[in-house]
Amino acid sequence: MDYPAILLIVAACAYVAGMAGALLLRRVGRLALSVGFGLAAVGGACGFLSGVTSLATGQAAARGAVTFWSGPAPNLRLVIQADPLSCFFVTIVSMLGAAIAIYSLGYSGAYLGRKSVGLLAALYNALLLATTLTFVAGNVWVFLIAWEMMALLAYGLVTFEHEDRETRGAAVFYFIMSHIDAVCVMLGFLVLFQAAGDFSFDGLRGVGAKLSSGQRDTAFLLFVVGFGIKAGLVPLHVWLPVAHPVAPSNVSALMSGVLIKTGIYGIARVCFEFLGGPPLWWGALLLALGTVSAVLGVLYALMEHDLKRLLAYHSIENIGIIVMGLGASLMFVSTGHPVLAALALAAALYHTINHASFKGLLFLGAGSVLHATHTRNMEEMGGLVKRMPQTAMLFLLGAVAISALPPLNGFVSEWLTYQALLQGFGSTDSLLRLMFPVGGAMLALTGALAAACFVKAFGISFLAQPRSQAAERAREVPASMRLGMALLAIACLFLGLFPTVFLGWLGPVMNQLTGEALAGRLSLAGGWVLAAPGANAGSVSTAAMTLFGLSFLLVPLFLRRMLGRRAKTVRGPTWDCGLQGLTPRMEYSATGFSKPLRMIFKALFRPHREVQREYEFSPYFARSLRFESHVEEVFEERIYRPTRFWILRVSRRVRALQQGSLQVYLLYIFLTLLGLLLWAV
Amino acid sequence: MNSSPQVVDFAVGLIPLLAAIMLVLQLLLLAQRMLVTVIRVFALQSLLLAVIAGVVGYTCHAWHVTLVAVLTVMGKVLFLPWLLERLIRRVRIEQEISPWLNMPASLFLCGGLTLLGYLVARPFASAERVGGNTLAVAVALVLTGFFLLINRRKALTQVLALLTMENGVMLAAIAFSSHGMPLVVELGIFFDVVIAVMVLGLLVFRIRETFASMDTSRLNELKG
Repeated sequence: MDYPAILLIVAACAYVAGMAGALLLRRVGRLALSVGFGLAAVGGACGFLSGVTSLATGQAAARGAVTFWSGPAPNLRLVIQADPLSCFFVTIVSMLGAAIAIYSLGYSGAYLGRKSVGLLAALYNALLLATTLTFVAGNVWVFLIAWEMMALLAYGLVTFEHEDRETRGAAVFYFIMSHIDAVCVMLGFLVLFQAAGDFSFDGLRGVGAKLSSGQRDTAFLLFVVGFGIKAGLVPLHVWLPVAHPVAPSNVSALMSGVLIKTGIYGIARVCFEFLGGPPLWWGALLLALGTVSAVLGVLYALMEHDLKRLLAYHSIENIGIIVMGLGASLMFVSTGHPVLAALALAAALYHTINHASFKGLLFLGAGSVLHATHTRNMEEMGGLVKRMPQTAMLFLLGAVAISALPPLNGFVSEWLTYQALLQGFGSTDSLLRLMFPVGGAMLALTGALAAACFVKAFGISFLAQPRSQAAERAREVPASMRLGMALLAIACLFLGLFPTVFLGWLGPVMNQLTGEALAGRLSLAGGWVLAAPGANAGSVSTAAMTLFGLSFLLVPLFLRRMLGRRAKTVRGPTWDCGLQGLTPRMEYSATGFSKPLRMIFKALFRPHREVQREYEFSPYFARSLRFESHVEEVFEERIYRPTRFWILRVSRRVRALQQGSLQVYLLYIFLTLLGLLLWAV
Repeated sequence: MNSSPQVVDFAVGLIPLLAAIMLVLQLLLLAQRMLVTVIRVFALQSLLLAVIAGVVGYTCHAWHVTLVAVLTVMGKVLFLPWLLERLIRRVRIEQEISPWLNMPASLFLCGGLTLLGYLVARPFASAERVGGNTLAVAVALVLTGFFLLINRRKALTQVLALLTMENGVMLAAIAFSSHGMPLVVELGIFFDVVIAVMVLGLLVFRIRETFASMDTSRLNELKG
């Protein structure tokens, strides 16, 4: 009996019930919230169990596709299939969905009486359902329907606080970009369909061999653009830092954690399964895009002092790291190194689930801060570690994870990516092999900059003195919110400390995509040590590191106990340079903290600073002072704005055709007719 | 064609002649400025079409082409002209029509369009059932009708232009096969034409009420 499949159906039913319940009870806000998010949590838990058991028992690999509706036309069918790749992504969406649903029980309470919480909960359930459906789609119809539903529902959620003009603009921007990506994906599937004559994923498998190389490249590029927009790859990322921050924080967490991963799922599904036998430059292109996304994402994140925008830019960075792994894996496939391909793919997929867990955690943390202080601007926070200690600790854990510091999960996946990249240099004689060490170096730079960024994010937001009244009055958030975050923190810890267990579950996925499961080749010493396959590969044990680190923590404590019995503890004020006490205005600001990096990367940021001073006698006694500083958003300014300008300009020209005169319209038709006739003659 | 040879010869000679007269009437329409005359010329043209259809129906023993002839007489020769003349009396439109392009230039252009019609129809000459050049005349009728549609400003003349185009289409259908189009299609076209005239007649009223004129070029004031 395939219990995981039944669990998955139960999950879908829970989402539907949650959606219906929340809508029916929307007049009773408090009840709608409990029912809607409660059922979403149940559904998420079922989906999570289903995904994990499918992978752990290997049942997923044996499953076939299920047709649940057959239309009148031969290709018009709705098919679902939960193979290992699907199950892996279902695990991610369900895990995050459940944790966020629990968090939302508390978080959405703030909307009670102000907005329709029932609607929020219903949309949330629907979005989880659509995303799950995207991952288990078994043919192109189901995939595209779910894909568009997902985009539409996400639009609805982004625009939830639509009273704000900024929100509406961001949502429309997101909507337009979603349209472009859907068009690209549809065209890509049509190219594949021409050769396969079949819309089912089974029929499309290995269809690349039937295409001419030109068609194959076209399809590949269409999919990269389509899925790249969804994933937020540079230079298609511009919608992401606009749309993610304005959504309610629980939705931001879901969007950043899972929705952008649908792009990764698409790339993995299409490039490895459908197009097959890739030329070397495909992988190289993905590796290059990933590298650029990773570095630029973190650099722009450093310049932000809007906490949620900062996290959104970090999503771009992490998507970049994931795509680096995918690109490297594709390169290894085309050069015929299945073991390395599986390793790079494992790194990419590992980072996918890692990013979902720690980015979800961080966005929920940011949501808690927003809940407590009602601001997203870091320059108005500060001192929160005293006022909301548990949230602060959970946020710190997420920050350590995203900065790729051992022993947490970000470290493990980035370490695997390094292993794949470092061994890549010897994998081929092509000049493109230079991309591996360069990518590795850039990944190192990214890691360091991410650490710097989170020192800033945590330090400015949580440490020192409160910078505003709002921060001073902040209180710890409700228990359900902390529980939601804690669940994700546990996921981070588990994925960090027991990587070999998780990689064992990942085996069927790697087997499905690269034909190499790496079974048993990644673990040493009974699973306590993670080892990369290959002659010069490294090995690492996060569990041992933790023990080692804890022992270093314990030794001084022990020594102090033993030797310092007579020592006295005195608490004194912080030294204030002889001034009359320290005030928040003396604190290091977020802008100040990132200034050195802004100067180093001046060529990219093109920082702009303007100081206006009004004074009567001497500049030292200013009456008013205005300070303005910002960095240029290169892609927005250099690519998107000119494109928009030209489109509008051409449209205005074309509009001259609309004369409003019947005769002129008839003339257009007549001239077309004459032209066609003359052409035929 | 399964009638006696003399009858067929007569029909083959008669049909291109009638078609040519239809084209001449079309040019007359183009040059004519009096609304009532325009309507009557159109009625005459439709009558010729009906005669052609009748001849084809008789010689080929195709009863439904004969039915087309009867319907044309009833609809386009009697009912529509009567309707339009009544409309003219009711809205009391001034009889002058001011075209965009003056008369000599229009005639010159229509000569070119007729040539184009012949050029287009040449490859199909062997496929024609009834006499040479009927298809060419039909295409020329459609093209000049279209030009008339563009060149005139009054909604009423535009209606008539559309109707002459429709005559051209009918002629092409009769010329191209002894069976004409399937009856269902022909009835559909008749129905369409009647509805179109009704709608346009209504439109004429509306335009006149709103703009105190029947000039469709005034409609560009509605542009956003």
